[in-house]
Amino acid sequence: MATPDHAENDLQPFFVLHKALVQKSERKSSGSRKIRRRIELSPISAKNAEKMEIGTGEERDDHHYEHLRMEAFNFVWSKIESTIKDVLRNINLNVFNEIHRWVCESFDAIKSCGTTLTKATHSYPIVTDATFRQLFTGLVFTKNMEFVDDLMTFEELGLHLKSHGCHVANLSSIDFSANNGIGGCLRSLLRQFLMVTLDAADISILASWYSDQGNYNKPVVVIIDDMERCCGSVLSDFILMLSEWAVKVPVILIMGVATTLDAPRNILPSNVLQHLHVSKFLLGSPSERMDAIVEAVLVRLCSGFCVGYKVAAFMRNYFLRQDGTLTSFIRALKIACVEHFSSEPLSFMLKALFVEENSQGFWSEEHALFPEEMLKYAFDLPSCRRNNTEERTGENLAHDLSELKRLQKCWSTTVLCLYEAGKYNKIQLLDLFCEAVVPCLGNSTASNHHLGSGISSSSDHSIHHQYLISEKCSFICQAIRKVRDLPVVLLYQLLKSWEKLTEDVIEIHDKVKELQSLLKFENGKSLKQDLTNIPKRHTSRSHLNMDKDSKVLNEKAARLMETMVRDYMQPVECIPFHEIVCFKNVDKLQSESWGED
Amino acid sequence: MEGNYGEDEEFGFARNYFIAKELGGSGKKSSRKLSDIELVDEQELRAAARSIESKHEKEIGSLLNSYKSLYPKWVFELRCGFGLLMYGFGSKKALIEDFASTALTECAVLVINGYLQSINIKQAVTAIAEALWDQLKTRRTPSGDFPKVQQPFNSRSMDDLLAFMDGSHSEKNDCFVCVVIHNIDGPGLRDSDTQQYLARVAACSHIRMVASIDHVNAPLLWDKKMVHTQFNWCWYHVPTFVPYKAEGIFYPLILAHGGTAQSAKTAAIVLQSLTPNAQSVFKVLAEHQLAHPDEEGMPVNNLYSICRERFLVSSQITLNSHLTEFKDHELIKTRRHSDGQDCLYIPLATEALEKLLQDISQ
Repeated sequence: MATPDHAENDLQPFFVLHKALVQKSERKSSGSRKIRRRIELSPISAKNAEKMEIGTGEERDDHHYEHLRMEAFNFVWSKIESTIKDVLRNINLNVFNEIHRWVCESFDAIKSCGTTLTKATHSYPIVTDATFRQLFTGLVFTKNMEFVDDLMTFEELGLHLKSHGCHVANLSSIDFSANNGIGGCLRSLLRQFLMVTLDAADISILASWYSDQGNYNKPVVVIIDDMERCCGSVLSDFILMLSEWAVKVPVILIMGVATTLDAPRNILPSNVLQHLHVSKFLLGSPSERMDAIVEAVLVRLCSGFCVGYKVAAFMRNYFLRQDGTLTSFIRALKIACVEHFSSEPLSFMLKALFVEENSQGFWSEEHALFPEEMLKYAFDLPSCRRNNTEERTGENLAHDLSELKRLQKCWSTTVLCLYEAGKYNKIQLLDLFCEAVVPCLGNSTASNHHLGSGISSSSDHSIHHQYLISEKCSFICQAIRKVRDLPVVLLYQLLKSWEKLTEDVIEIHDKVKELQSLLKFENGKSLKQDLTNIPKRHTSRSHLNMDKDSKVLNEKAARLMETMVRDYMQPVECIPFHEIVCFKNVDKLQSESWGED
Repeated sequence: MEGNYGEDEEFGFARNYFIAKELGGSGKKSSRKLSDIELVDEQELRAAARSIESKHEKEIGSLLNSYKSLYPKWVFELRCGFGLLMYGFGSKKALIEDFASTALTECAVLVINGYLQSINIKQAVTAIAEALWDQLKTRRTPSGDFPKVQQPFNSRSMDDLLAFMDGSHSEKNDCFVCVVIHNIDGPGLRDSDTQQYLARVAACSHIRMVASIDHVNAPLLWDKKMVHTQFNWCWYHVPTFVPYKAEGIFYPLILAHGGTAQSAKTAAIVLQSLTPNAQSVFKVLAEHQLAHPDEEGMPVNNLYSICRERFLVSSQITLNSHLTEFKDHELIKTRRHSDGQDCLYIPLATEALEKLLQDISQ
């Protein structure tokens, strides 16, 4: 790079450093010198071309595996992303349907007022009836100070309403800033409906568009994401304008409110509030959403990718103490995923292991083709070093990986059963999850501290879980205790949910079914006694017996839960080859998400 | 013995100190002032600064080389949709441009020098859109639908440009233009409108952003939507210890500065925190200074009489307290009039003073 060129570029507001390599012909710099400068491309391109063509076999291999890892990341992350979207959509579905019903009702009410929509577009339509033209307004209470989490919600709401035949425009607080004024939000509105950008935006254009064939039989919904961030005066003007033109364009307004449902009173003057006919809607709470995401992504392991206990603790603390948004939690997860796929050479196996349907088929073919270095690396992983007796073959690797998958399934089932029990005590899944991933750490765990040292490694995790079960402050212990205290009806429901959850783990499933049959038997007995006429004294004694019997069942259920925690909840960091599927580098994650302290 | 020796030495030192003080006090006072020192001409100073030998070149070189091992990871993260934010002591300009020239050869790269005083963001976004258009043209698949020739980019609105950059034009999602912004926290880009535009650019599906920051309060520029969903920053600590030669071009050198020039902005901030009466007193002074640019300043008596007329102050004491406050904040200074009176003046250039008056009148 020539130095004078360089120095001149430093003083330009912007310049093109280089064009894409693919382009063969060099583009002449056109326009004024001040705006564009090019730096000679040829030396760099020649070097790169050389590298790509003549590279050694090893480089080509590296490139190949890097490409595989990139592919695996894309697969895994798109699975995680679509799972999160589905989960959030399901949570919101009820509210969305409610809102849609209200939109239809409001539109019917507007139509039944009997005004005909003429094609003429006067600037000031005459209001024919004496009553105020009120705008039907839906206030959607997000229960969340962080508006960033709900950006997606309002987008999805718009799509939901569109799919049910409404005209929808999404506006945000930027469109209602004092700088842009009413022209800004009108322009944004028109752009969304008419698909063109107009410099002179006027509401009459919207009216003439609406009266066009095909447009006017559908409700027009305007969604404003975050009402409190809008400039009050601009929003007031907008509402007044819409209510004046309500005869020509029956707009239904939906506004997102973060603080209280009284917020409009703080932002809008009373003469504007009179024009709003308000209905209220409540969205699901942020913690509900967090639990749903943790369940789908980190516990049920939709993609197979998981995180270690330190990373889990960091993400939880970051969410609870620093950021508080679901968006940042998901972003931290994405950074963890990227880090994992860019630094762990064997991470490309994740795709085959978990995501593809015929993983069995893959393994039987591919394991014969694993290169020697890769097998050596795999068996040298810290998690495998304990078990040195195993022969380093592709077959053994494949076998161990499917065992990892099976153990993960058992762990996931146990955590979900704990969560079902914990729901009766309002325990959050995030807390349970962070406890459930903690592995046995050898001499430094609290469990050893509690129960004395000198314990062999093979029974470490069960002893650690014994600690979890007995330690009063742990969430797992609270969940198990709750099982003991549940009344019969709720215990029945709990067992039903366990029956569904344990379908894939036969040993646990059988035990759950056993308990269920006992419960039915007890229930049947108590029913019979209720039906017959028994003197009061006998009834009380039989009630006592019934209580005692159900207590026995509670105890049995709690014992079953304890057994599951002890024997089936092996955290991923205790399983050989977990480094392939689990991300543990919390320092990297911390410095990349938010910079160093 | 040793202790005594120490004490003697201290005693001797103290005695010498007091003797020197006495001698100094009895002598004639020098009439020279600090402001009489002739400072070096700015051009000379800049030339001298340019020719300073940079220290630790070898170590800095090896540090920059060590960052090359991070390049593949940076490319991976850019492809995954993250933005890269570089921070750390030293100019990161050379590092980022080296990364772009060596690792990002498959896509067009546009550099914005955010450290300059003013940047026209619309022109920059137009250039980005044009670069993307060029790149898409060369990658066009025969079957793919490609938008026909439309109106030229520099006559389109910002929203249109953003819509173009965000649209899904080709099946290949890895076709993107990389925008490098040196000092995204620089004075030319600091206002909220520009940052909003940059965030919307970064959120476009065909744009990836690599930026550097140096100001300690830079993160205050962004709200959570911008950080998490639009820019999507991955933070990298890359101290380089390279001097800020390019970035500091437009900043006045401290040695040549003298420290007397007060920028209008800080003055405005200070004034806004004062009471309305104090602001009005200041306005009187400023108006006089603008009306009489050739005089040394406004005599205190004149100021007092005008302020009394306008009911801004009730007594000399009140005016003095206002003046003391102004002096403490370095908003005004005193000079000797040719008559011998004390005059007050505001140490700002005429344009800066006019702008200041506008600011506080709002």
